[in-house]
Amino acid sequence: METTTHDPTSKPDEPELDLYTIPSHSSWFLWDEIHETEKLALREFFDGSSFSRTPKIYKEYRDFIINKYREEPSRRLSFTDVRKSLVGDVSLLHKVFRFLDERGLINFSAPSGNNTSLVVVEDGEDRSRIKIEGVVPNAVRVGASPNSPKPISVPPNVVDNAVLNGFKFLPLASYSDVFGDLVKPKGLICGNCGGICDSGHYKYTKGEFIICINCFKNQNYGENRSMDEFKLNECAENKGSDGAIWTEAETLLLLESVLKHGDDWELVAQNVQTKSKVDCILKLIELPFGELVLGSAHKYGNYGGLNGSMNGTKQVQLSSSEHHEAIRLEGQCHEQINEMEENGDTVDQGHPSKRQRIASLSDAGSSLMKQVARISTMVGSQTTAAAAEAAVTALCDENSFPREIFDVEEDHISNGFSPPTASYEAERVFKNEESKTKEGLTQSETANTPHKRDDIPLTLQIRASIATALGAAAARAKLLAEQEDREVENLVAIIIETQMKKLHQKIKHFEDLELIMEKEYAEMEELKDCLLAERIGVLQKAINAGISRWRDHSVKS
Amino acid sequence: MKAPASTFSKAPVKFRMPTADNLVPIRLDIEIDGQRFKDAFTWNPSDPDSEVAVFAKRTVKDLKLPPAFITQIASSIQSQLAEFRSFEGQDMYTGEKIVPIKLDLRVNHTLIKDQFLWDLNNFESDPEEFARTFCRDLGIEDPEVGPAVAFAIREQLFEVATQSVASARESRLSKKGRRGFEYVPASKAGGAVLDLVKLFGHKSSVVRKRKEWEVYEPIVDHLSNEEVDALEAREERNFRFNPNRSLLRAVLFRLPLLHILILRCKKSDGIITF
Repeated sequence: METTTHDPTSKPDEPELDLYTIPSHSSWFLWDEIHETEKLALREFFDGSSFSRTPKIYKEYRDFIINKYREEPSRRLSFTDVRKSLVGDVSLLHKVFRFLDERGLINFSAPSGNNTSLVVVEDGEDRSRIKIEGVVPNAVRVGASPNSPKPISVPPNVVDNAVLNGFKFLPLASYSDVFGDLVKPKGLICGNCGGICDSGHYKYTKGEFIICINCFKNQNYGENRSMDEFKLNECAENKGSDGAIWTEAETLLLLESVLKHGDDWELVAQNVQTKSKVDCILKLIELPFGELVLGSAHKYGNYGGLNGSMNGTKQVQLSSSEHHEAIRLEGQCHEQINEMEENGDTVDQGHPSKRQRIASLSDAGSSLMKQVARISTMVGSQTTAAAAEAAVTALCDENSFPREIFDVEEDHISNGFSPPTASYEAERVFKNEESKTKEGLTQSETANTPHKRDDIPLTLQIRASIATALGAAAARAKLLAEQEDREVENLVAIIIETQMKKLHQKIKHFEDLELIMEKEYAEMEELKDCLLAERIGVLQKAINAGISRWRDHSVKS
Repeated sequence: MKAPASTFSKAPVKFRMPTADNLVPIRLDIEIDGQRFKDAFTWNPSDPDSEVAVFAKRTVKDLKLPPAFITQIASSIQSQLAEFRSFEGQDMYTGEKIVPIKLDLRVNHTLIKDQFLWDLNNFESDPEEFARTFCRDLGIEDPEVGPAVAFAIREQLFEVATQSVASARESRLSKKGRRGFEYVPASKAGGAVLDLVKLFGHKSSVVRKRKEWEVYEPIVDHLSNEEVDALEAREERNFRFNPNRSLLRAVLFRLPLLHILILRCKKSDGIITF
């Protein structure tokens, strides 16, 4: 504010004009103070003669008039404009107004239009001044124009800055543009490259973050995120629109390419052409015989390649479909596998370790015992469980083979083919080895079949033993896992309890604090009242002593 | 809170016009043989009385009025001056006194409505200067408006002054050495005297609330010839109907103008001079 007050004097380009219209002595003016000039010219406000004329009131008059003029500096402010807004004797107001006008505090850059009106003052001296005034305002306007923008016009810069800060990436955008860009892609945007995830996206499991398939492939996971923390999400819209409409030709093409390329979905999608990879996978799963086709593809060639080439998330899908296709698991075995899968999903290391197991198991068919030994040496429920799952899967894959053997040998339990193979085999193994029989799942059947043990071929026995070992390991793993679960649960409960306790303590603390604050507040109020009463008393005394107008002086000047 | 009033109280003011120039508003309204003469002007009470007769003669001559008007004019001026002088030498009021002045008048084709405050203790006030500024600011061309406005202000000031003399007399009679009596009777007598503590106290701002601006804003209207004619006809009728002219004038002059058609007891066929 202070800077704008001196505009008249800051341009002394034409001294002889400046002398009159924008008098150099208006530079004394300060918003915060009342200058001697004012006190001299408007003495009545400062001699304490009247209750309605105090320095405070003068300052209010003055500030209001000046502010009013500055609202529109190019317009000449008239007394009539001002007086309607001010309480007080019009003559006095007029005097103040005239004073401000003459001292160049108002109307200094207003057009000369009304200047002739001053001719009314029939004074030779004044008349000469009027002549000069008539000329000056133009010069003044030129000079003062740089200052003419009111303080209000400054903020735009500030606003701009704020906008820039707020939306760094769109420095020149207007508001509508900014919001338009923010609103438009309400679908899914890759957090990495900003593209729209049409075909699908990987969701970050630990928060609101998604990346598109391309970014996932290129391993652009974003900072602090690893591959395992992403889950594949297919686009729902895709399923609804493009994905839903499959022509017969396309379906045929898909089946053909699946038969040809197996699970290499890139190739499959290339073959189908009109559909994306995700669409192909979805369609195949939807098809009633899709799994069969896929399974046969596995069997016919791609088995080994499958394990090596797949990336994490897809594998879950495939391996599960594999299970469905190859074995009709039920009961505990199935349960176990499911559980393993869950563990694998939830625990970060699950996928890699499982894949390793599967790979080594499937390609090294010869040294089974070695593997079992290795498996048994495995510590940690997680890895053991993964290994067991893989082994069972592998065994089940070759379901037909043990089934044939059992067909030949076990005539009396031929009706029992339907039972789960895993348990079936486990029971065989029990007969053979009679080793650690911790699990009670096949107890009843072991009693039925002890006499048949010699008939079973060695290979089968070995296989069965392996399966048993695996089963045992799996069971133990499950137990361990359960135990661990319980432990974790227990610990979590303890943690929660402790946290609750802490929270309660805090709440109590805050309540205490509040109480104290309230007490203090009440005390303050009391003090305030006391002070007020005291002040009123002092004032009363002062007024009675007749010195209250001095106080006015000291307050204002 | 009558303390402030007593704080700023000063010696009682002897009666005079509460303006810079002690000029008395004189209003003439004389009818002789169907000829009506109306005029309004100010008179300096310190001028010798012989001036009155000279003025009357001169006026009649200038306006080519019948000689009968001379005595009438002179006596009317004399009586009004005598009324003014009868108050002189008396205490007018003490302490602060700010009154609202309401303008509501028609001069030829211009209709003016306004309201503002006037400090009766400000003996530098100048109604004529105020009227000039008023006309300039509002762009009123008619040269008769300014004097009329100034005259209206003076008339009201004169009235307030005479009232306060009466109240000062009353208060002096009833005075029993009580403190703070000055303020109370003033407000009683003045009727429209404002609560100064409320207006100028420490808690209030002298800047009016925005919604009040309209009340204190001057309103100037320009009437068409038909409207003026209608108003004048109405005035004439009322003038003739009511025998108590001076009372009628007194009443009507202070009636707030609610509508153009409300009668104005001021005719513009007279000469208004200063």
